[in-house]
Amino acid sequence: MGRWWPRGLRPRLLAGFALVTVLGSLAATWAITESAGEALVASNQRRISETVSGQIGAVTHEVSHPPDQAALDRLRDSVGTDTLVVFEDLRSVDGTETDLITDGLREAVRAGDRVVTQRVVDADRPWLLVGAPVMITAPDGERTPSGIEVYTVRDLSAVQEEVDALVRAAAVAGAAVLLLATLLALFTARGVLRPVRELRDTARRLAAGDLDARTEPQGVDELAELTVTINEMAESVQGSMESMERMRADARRFAADVSHELRTPLSTLTAVTEVLAASTEDMAEDARESARMAISETQRLVRLVEDLMEVSRFDAGSARLREEEVDMVSAVRDTLRARDRLDQVEIHAPEELPVRVDRRRLDVIVANLVGNALRHGEPPVRVSVFADRTHVNLVVTDGGPGLSEHVVPHVFDRFFKADAARTRTPGSGLGLAIALENARLHDGDLTAGNGDDGGARFVLRLPRASGDIDPGRERGVRG
Amino acid sequence: MRSDFSSTVVCALVSVLLVAVVGCGVRPSGVSDAGEAPTGVAPGVTLYFVDDNDELRPQFRRTERLGTVSDAVSLLLSGPGDSEVRTEIASTSVTNVEVTTHSEAIELRVPLDIGDVTPMGIDQIVCTARTSHVQNGGSERTRVRIRFVQFTPESEVRRTCPLYE
Repeated sequence: MGRWWPRGLRPRLLAGFALVTVLGSLAATWAITESAGEALVASNQRRISETVSGQIGAVTHEVSHPPDQAALDRLRDSVGTDTLVVFEDLRSVDGTETDLITDGLREAVRAGDRVVTQRVVDADRPWLLVGAPVMITAPDGERTPSGIEVYTVRDLSAVQEEVDALVRAAAVAGAAVLLLATLLALFTARGVLRPVRELRDTARRLAAGDLDARTEPQGVDELAELTVTINEMAESVQGSMESMERMRADARRFAADVSHELRTPLSTLTAVTEVLAASTEDMAEDARESARMAISETQRLVRLVEDLMEVSRFDAGSARLREEEVDMVSAVRDTLRARDRLDQVEIHAPEELPVRVDRRRLDVIVANLVGNALRHGEPPVRVSVFADRTHVNLVVTDGGPGLSEHVVPHVFDRFFKADAARTRTPGSGLGLAIALENARLHDGDLTAGNGDDGGARFVLRLPRASGDIDPGRERGVRG
Repeated sequence: MRSDFSSTVVCALVSVLLVAVVGCGVRPSGVSDAGEAPTGVAPGVTLYFVDDNDELRPQFRRTERLGTVSDAVSLLLSGPGDSEVRTEIASTSVTNVEVTTHSEAIELRVPLDIGDVTPMGIDQIVCTARTSHVQNGGSERTRVRIRFVQFTPESEVRRTCPLYE
């Protein structure tokens, strides 16, 4: 598009209308004035030559033949001013404009037996030259030239003015039509642009997530068809979204139901294994080994089901936060002590660091991170706790080879196994996912990466308890 | 590119049209035909009389000018003079003839009764009037109607000259 070419739909419509109107009215003006002007000139010419002819014919019967000077004067007077009458050597002339009479006209008069005319322009004024030979008609109707020639010069300025007036009128009409066309173009542009604007607004709302947005189609034109199509598109997107949402909800409910249904038989199974554990002393060596395996697998199953139920609670949005004032450092120590891990972990922490958290959930997070580091990484496993202006940070690092690049994005996925061959690990596969959900429940975050020395590095960031959070407030994730 | 091209085309078109509109008006022209030349000059008038063979014969009177139909018929009524032809119209002291020209006929009111003329005399009047009319630029197909002083059906007849049928 050129620099000056209008870009908007409205100026383009306007320009198009104006251009078409200008060209159309110019063409019409040209055609009309040309043909009307020609007709005007022609009819005036015909009228003038007929008048001259008639004026001559009205007096010829009084004119003697051969004519004398008086007869020529009589003829000249009958035609009017600016007239020249010639017979052989006799001339009768009146007026100054007879100089305009051309040789061509004289020749045509002398040679023929017809009235002839010629238009000339002199000093910007148009003139009509009329030349007429006067004929002698014999009794049998045969005509011969009498030798008398009459020339007269008539002013065509009046005709010129009429033609000019015609052009002016056409120009005025053209201007009026242009004005009308501009109004019409504005009106049309509005009619086209309004539905386009409405469609744009609807599309914006759809893009912003308002799937209920629709535009009422108006009329039966292409824009109405476009509107209907967009409405159908929105309809189908909305339908897909709803069915997807329904399917996800169904899947979550199924997982929740399954874990719930498993709990009751598992409690029974746990009770049975406890009895079994108490009586392993009396067993043979191989039977004892089997019983131990049954016990440990049952315990693992119980943990898995508990983790599944926890995940289901997060998915259902029914996880509740019970915040209280906690000393972060002693909470971490308590967690490690409860799991007999104090001697396996280096702790770098200040004396105390008060924070508002859900004590149980913090315990779950720390246990999962440390457990994960001990299980998959290598010693030394370090836990550092420190605070910055807005957050409390807990960093867990290990001395292992670290996380490979393709693992980092999936490390918090449910049942993700970094090593596909190692399918049987003590963990449920849900620990890190649950830790992340718990961190988010606190409006915090949990990230995974590698430390400067190459080991895996997990960072938990929890917002420091601010004054505007009510004590004992319960927060839920996902509405 | 496209806009440059179209703008050029549009400008050219507009200027051509403008020039055409402004340029129109009364322009000079060559010599062109504008109809039949006037006629009506003649050195005299042609009258019709009857010769010894009882036939119509034209007689040219040098009157210097052609004159009107009325002049010609009046001159006819005044007689042939001392020539070798005769007239079959009774002589009358009043020679005034009133002429009315219609599109297809000329009507003559003559100071005569039907008894004053023979059929040959009527032809004399018709031929004289018709010839004068033609020489004055009238149509050769024009008919002549002679209205006599007293009522007669002959007044209604539209006649032609037997010499030019």
